[in-house]
Amino acid sequence: MMIARAVVTFCAALALGCAPAGDRPHDPNIVLVFKHGKLSGDGAILSNILREFERRHPGIVVREELLPSSSDRQHQYYAMNLDGGQAPFDLLGVDTIWVQEFAKAGWIASLEKVLPPAEREQFFPGPIKAATFKGQLYAVPWYIDAGVLYYRRDLLDRHGVAPPKTWPDLVHAAQRILDAERDPRLAGFVWQGKQYEGLVCFALEVLHSNGSDLWGGDRARAEAGLRFLRETVAGHRITPVSVGMADEESTRQIFGSGRALFMRNWPYAWSLFQREGSLVRGKVGIAPLPSFPGYPSAPVLGGWMLAVPRASAHQQEVGELIRFLTSPDAQRLVALGLGYNPTRRDLYADESLVGARPLLKDLYPIFLEARPRPVTPYYLLLSQALQPEVSAVVVGRKTPREALDAVRRQLTRIVGSSDLPVAVEGL
Amino acid sequence: MTERPSIGASHSTSGIRLSERTWGYLLASPAFLLVGLVAVAPIAAALWLSLHRRLPVFGVEEFVGLWNYVQLWSDDRFWAACRTTLYFTALSVAAELLLGFGLALLLDGLTSGTGGSPRWAQGMIVVPWAIPTVVSAQIWAWLFQPDFGLLNYLLHQVRLITRPIDWLANPDWAIHAAIVMDVWKTAPFAALLLLAGLKTVPRDLYAAARVDGAGAWQQFRHITLPLLMPVVVIVLIFRTMDAVRVFDAVYVLTGGGPGNSTETLSIYAYKTLFQTLQFGYGSTLATAMFLIVAALSSLYLLLLRRHLQETT
Repeated sequence: MMIARAVVTFCAALALGCAPAGDRPHDPNIVLVFKHGKLSGDGAILSNILREFERRHPGIVVREELLPSSSDRQHQYYAMNLDGGQAPFDLLGVDTIWVQEFAKAGWIASLEKVLPPAEREQFFPGPIKAATFKGQLYAVPWYIDAGVLYYRRDLLDRHGVAPPKTWPDLVHAAQRILDAERDPRLAGFVWQGKQYEGLVCFALEVLHSNGSDLWGGDRARAEAGLRFLRETVAGHRITPVSVGMADEESTRQIFGSGRALFMRNWPYAWSLFQREGSLVRGKVGIAPLPSFPGYPSAPVLGGWMLAVPRASAHQQEVGELIRFLTSPDAQRLVALGLGYNPTRRDLYADESLVGARPLLKDLYPIFLEARPRPVTPYYLLLSQALQPEVSAVVVGRKTPREALDAVRRQLTRIVGSSDLPVAVEGL
Repeated sequence: MTERPSIGASHSTSGIRLSERTWGYLLASPAFLLVGLVAVAPIAAALWLSLHRRLPVFGVEEFVGLWNYVQLWSDDRFWAACRTTLYFTALSVAAELLLGFGLALLLDGLTSGTGGSPRWAQGMIVVPWAIPTVVSAQIWAWLFQPDFGLLNYLLHQVRLITRPIDWLANPDWAIHAAIVMDVWKTAPFAALLLLAGLKTVPRDLYAAARVDGAGAWQQFRHITLPLLMPVVVIVLIFRTMDAVRVFDAVYVLTGGGPGNSTETLSIYAYKTLFQTLQFGYGSTLATAMFLIVAALSSLYLLLLRRHLQETT
């Protein structure tokens, strides 16, 4: 019996390697697992940043584990693992719209100490708002996105039209140029109309730019905003019917093949349009999204953040890793190498960065205004209820009034009527 | 139980006499256990979960009895998904069976005509079945593209249409686009099963029928069809079960849109369970789907039994 126990102990020691005990700040055996969706572009750029972190923090090893780039799949993965209470990772990349949900569920840790309030001033306000749950920060913004308007600079110039400031201006500009060009293959304005999250983003941009929203705001203006979506297709005829199935990539392809005047999309498409061989190279301009007269432009905030599972045993080390990944130097490297836009405001005045990517100057005021989607743990429920209804309006199946009524009915069922005021808080 | 010599008794070394039936159960118990673990237990767990209101994000976990089922009854979205699913199932399974039958007869004719079996033809036919659904759905999404998709181009070339069809953006067309894709993908599966069935039909029956002066149609109607009936029912069961649970094909193609016109039960359950994490209500949807599949399968088996009783 004694011998057997000794053998077991010996084997266990072998398996563990020569692990020295102790609570030193950097235990040589600390492995931080970093889960995130695959970034587009050269994976070596992020790896190099992580290697540099390891070099500066001897004893810590960072292991990257990639998830599919589909954000639905990532959300599913995180929810399943975090709900179990023992997440097999120490750092995760979260979409801006998940932070409230994950924080409410108690899945991710407060990062109040990782990024003290004074330092948050250096970041754009939108992402900080999206990452703050009940007065505490739960995620640190990693890179930022916002809806923008792309336009064909050459065609607008040819017809003496300025980039539109309001939605009615955009309709007139599109109609005028389409009438003059007489090209049946040219569309006026393309946007994401498929039944998915992208449609909710654009619908919110239109509604917010009309001084309303999808729930608590002015009902008449909300209906007017939804009606505008439908009318671009059916009344003004500046948008092809196929927009009802369009996502970011399919609209980018239409615009990129020179077949649309205006497009709503995220900033990522810009560098693809400027590539060698692109049909619209040098012909594209970027502007803030239009609004309805009397209201400001209201781009929706996108982007990703870094968060830590509450179950991680290495809160302090992973906090240092977050500070490193969101430092000006690391953000500059990611912006230059992969084209992801920094969340730190002062980088937009950084000559070495802006010199290489002049677009950042145009994006700065847009990111400053970027408005988070409803900041509530109920967001995904809300969005799932909205998607089919807004889509039904776009394809002419429902009137805006019917759609808004249906959304209300569904949400009442999901959250229970007594919870409603809490659920819609801040919408 | 009548006393008779049993295998169990003769092999019993410990002196315990076990009846043949008991031995049978004993020997089958690992299989029962396996089925219990991988099939019955999860179904039971889902049933149990469907009696709860469980929203992990909000820390809600309460037993609510049949409350979820009451909700289900008044959930328009559920009934719409039911209609969409049954419509999809009826049309796609019918088309797959007909097309599969045609393909099987064609392949059978090819093989019996030349004497040898043209493996290349059989191999080619299963290609759509072999491609992962997510991949073929993406391919079809491009084919359905209204402006530069191949399908509209071909239809335009043969002058069947004058304006491009918005296959996926039109709520009336979208479900049919999904059906076309599903038929393309799974008709070969039906064809293979039916071809295997055709091979088992004794050739001399046809010879005898020809001697009696039966034409091709009469041979098909009175020999091929009745003898193939069990295979047809198996094809129907397989395909119906798959079609009722259809998920990836439609999800990749349309995401359930536009305006929920292609949202099947699986897609609704997926969105409820995994996107919005309503585990209780999502399990209720899954249970409802399970009951629908079980009811349809039982119906087929009942029909098959009646058919077999009539023919014997």
